[in-house]
Amino acid sequence: MAEVILEMKNIIKDFPGVRALDNVNFTLEQGEVLALVGENGAGKSTLMKVLSGVWPYPTYEGDIYLDDQLVRFDNTREAEEAGIGIIHQELNLLPDLSVAENIFLDRQPLNKFGGIKWEELYHNAEKVLARLNMDIDPRIELGDLTVGKQQMVEIAKALSLDTRILVFDEPTSALTDSEVNELFTVINELRASGVSIIYISHKMEEIEEIADSVVVLRDGSTIGDKINIDQVTLDEIIARMVGRDIEDLFPSHDFKRGEKTLEAKNISVPDPFNPEKKLVDDVSFSAHKGEILGISGLMGAGRTELVNAIFGVYGKKREGEIFLNGKKLDIKSPADAINNGIALVTEDRKELGLLLDKNLVMNMTLPSIKKFSSKLAMDKHAERAVAEKYVDELNIKTPSLDVFVEKLSGGNQQKVVIGKWLITESDVLILDEPTRGIDVGAKTEVYRLMNQLVEQGVTVIMISSELPEIMGMSDRIVVMSEGKKTAELERSEADQETIMKYATGNKGVE
Amino acid sequence: MKKFIKNNGTFIALIFLVIILSFLSPSFLSSRNLTNLVRQVTINGIIAVGMTMVILLAGIDLSVGSVVGLSAVTVTLLMQAGFGMWLAILVTLIGVGGVIGFFNGFMSAKFDIHPFIITLGIMTIARGLSLVLTQGVSVPVTNLTFAEIGSGYIPKLPSLIILVVALVLGIFAVFKTSIELKNGEKVRNKARLTGGIILTIAGFIAGFFTFIGYQGIPIPVAIFAVIVMAGIYTLRKTRFGRKLYAIGGNEKVAWLSGINILKSKTMVFVITGVLSAASGILLASRLNGASPNLGDGFELDAIASVIIGGTSFMGGVGTITGTVIGAIIIGVINNGMSLLGINTFYQMIVKGFIIILAVMIDVLNRRETA
Repeated sequence: MAEVILEMKNIIKDFPGVRALDNVNFTLEQGEVLALVGENGAGKSTLMKVLSGVWPYPTYEGDIYLDDQLVRFDNTREAEEAGIGIIHQELNLLPDLSVAENIFLDRQPLNKFGGIKWEELYHNAEKVLARLNMDIDPRIELGDLTVGKQQMVEIAKALSLDTRILVFDEPTSALTDSEVNELFTVINELRASGVSIIYISHKMEEIEEIADSVVVLRDGSTIGDKINIDQVTLDEIIARMVGRDIEDLFPSHDFKRGEKTLEAKNISVPDPFNPEKKLVDDVSFSAHKGEILGISGLMGAGRTELVNAIFGVYGKKREGEIFLNGKKLDIKSPADAINNGIALVTEDRKELGLLLDKNLVMNMTLPSIKKFSSKLAMDKHAERAVAEKYVDELNIKTPSLDVFVEKLSGGNQQKVVIGKWLITESDVLILDEPTRGIDVGAKTEVYRLMNQLVEQGVTVIMISSELPEIMGMSDRIVVMSEGKKTAELERSEADQETIMKYATGNKGVE
Repeated sequence: MKKFIKNNGTFIALIFLVIILSFLSPSFLSSRNLTNLVRQVTINGIIAVGMTMVILLAGIDLSVGSVVGLSAVTVTLLMQAGFGMWLAILVTLIGVGGVIGFFNGFMSAKFDIHPFIITLGIMTIARGLSLVLTQGVSVPVTNLTFAEIGSGYIPKLPSLIILVVALVLGIFAVFKTSIELKNGEKVRNKARLTGGIILTIAGFIAGFFTFIGYQGIPIPVAIFAVIVMAGIYTLRKTRFGRKLYAIGGNEKVAWLSGINILKSKTMVFVITGVLSAASGILLASRLNGASPNLGDGFELDAIASVIIGGTSFMGGVGTITGTVIGAIIIGVINNGMSLLGINTFYQMIVKGFIIILAVMIDVLNRRETA
């Protein structure tokens, strides 16, 4: 057994009104890749903030031992000097500076006039990058690199600080598959050279591939001991995370396809920056009662643009016709769509879905304020009662209805957005990436809810980039590529290969 | 307690200001001076009510001062031309305030131009129009009843009745709003109840001392009070008010939630235009005439009142109550410094510092909660 280099013991961290960490215990060995998993809001980020000195002692209780020495950092700089580095989800780099300057920010070699010794700087940067087997020119501007390469620069920066413990917080969320592979190669090399790694991720397949061991956090506490990855199944990890067994991530449903409800005919949206191109190019589809229609495709395939077009976002620029229950709709704005019984759960909940510095009630009743008001006054008791009902039904975890939604975790925020559209009692509910950035437990709840809505007669349309999700939840799948519809598949004929084939542009039959 | 001070900082600052001034200048607390002070506040206060809504939308209206001037000139000229008083007022409110407000709001919302630009243009255009209409000289008011609006008083007895009714309604409102819904049960917030009752009674006593001790409630003050109450009600209780907070919070989210941004924005600028016109009419009435330069720089006092009152320039956060306190603070500073014999030039400097201070406090407060 390798030497233990980090031990976190009985860590407790309180925020006003909530205990974010409640007795966290784990150890990290030299050269170990430890996966730290847990639902959103389980306390992973807070724990890492304690470790990296963002929260200095005594704002937390408990002890951190580094090489058996008790350490108490006053600030992040002290943690850095002790060899603890963090690669954040959002990279902490300056895009307008060169790669080398980013790596040695504030630590550039200087000549006696205080000027930067550029050649030495580039040379040092090359040395660090070589440790990662990275072929990156330290002279080029960071902003010219892909996100994956920028992340490598961030790792190089950490290594240049003699980091012994490197924390990765959701490192793959913005990476392509080949970049993920590259990252894993680097992590394996770091492990071999004796760097210890704490790897935070939602993606179970990644954890299985890269981690040596797993620690599960739930509601701020470590659940069970650290387990070796070989001795545990993914289902067991998920069960620890959510505190119950998940028989099936995708709750099964067996619906009978009902009558046609929403029908879109020849929808096109011109590209505002390039009149020759179309964001959505002559797409027709229909959705039925009693089924979930999935829309699949790669990034930029025009899926979001298609549902936005139906929702009236493009106003008069949209071409084509929209019918609901056989009646032609005249939709020129989101207000028109809502009035006609169409709801859209937007992809980006922070920018497009929520009023972050407003409370739950105001957020949830916004699209249906007409229901809660006469011309003269809002009925505040009625809207509160409805908000309360949906907070209960959707199992939204919040201290009260009056907190700003920015204080909620990602999964709970997403439920607020969904609740906001459920209150409109629309006939058609379109969900654009409804489970992005939320944890496994919340995902399953969203899936259950979708099934429940279908049973109640709501027409549900879901866009998703995750193939297992699309295949697990949809009864019928529309595949898009470069603005065009390339396939429409029944659930029985859909498998990953077929969907990918159409998503990458193989024009299929209608 | 700390939270109380933070939430009511401007109000506490106002009380301190009043206490200090009453020591420095014995005539400050006289009924006569206070009545005049409140009447002066109304001109700026009425505009500031509209400006609050504009800034709530993260917008700005620079044209209000010019609208005051153009309205004063228009109403005066209309009466000279033989229009009846009420008709002249109505035409001015709609034809000057409403039309300019509509133009400001519609242009900025429809074509997505920042209202700073549109209202800056209108500010110059409206001022130019006033100068053209008057040939650059002051015009006198010929209608005698018109002067009553700006300088008249509601007699003492009806004033007293109004104050008593306000006291009763105020206490009733405090009782109603101090009930909170907690876990589905109605709970009375005792602190809010006692605080509210003390404030209402204090307000009644202050009103009694100020107005009944002098000549009654000035008519412009009564008009201002009605506008303020309507404004508070609109923001707190109506669907329209809710929409404004939503648009100010995040315009895109509000739009995707089905709110008609164009309509709401245009409406807010129309309201501000009409209120500015009302302010201009009151001013013309009090001065018994209008000069084309009337209202020059009024936009600054209105914006300052809103900001001192705690409305965020980023939009989405703010109240009319705060703005009224902000307007009174500016009024008290102007009045107090005049009583102390301080040159108006210095008053401007002090006012500038207070605006910066108010914004600093707002920014620091927000950083603390973040």
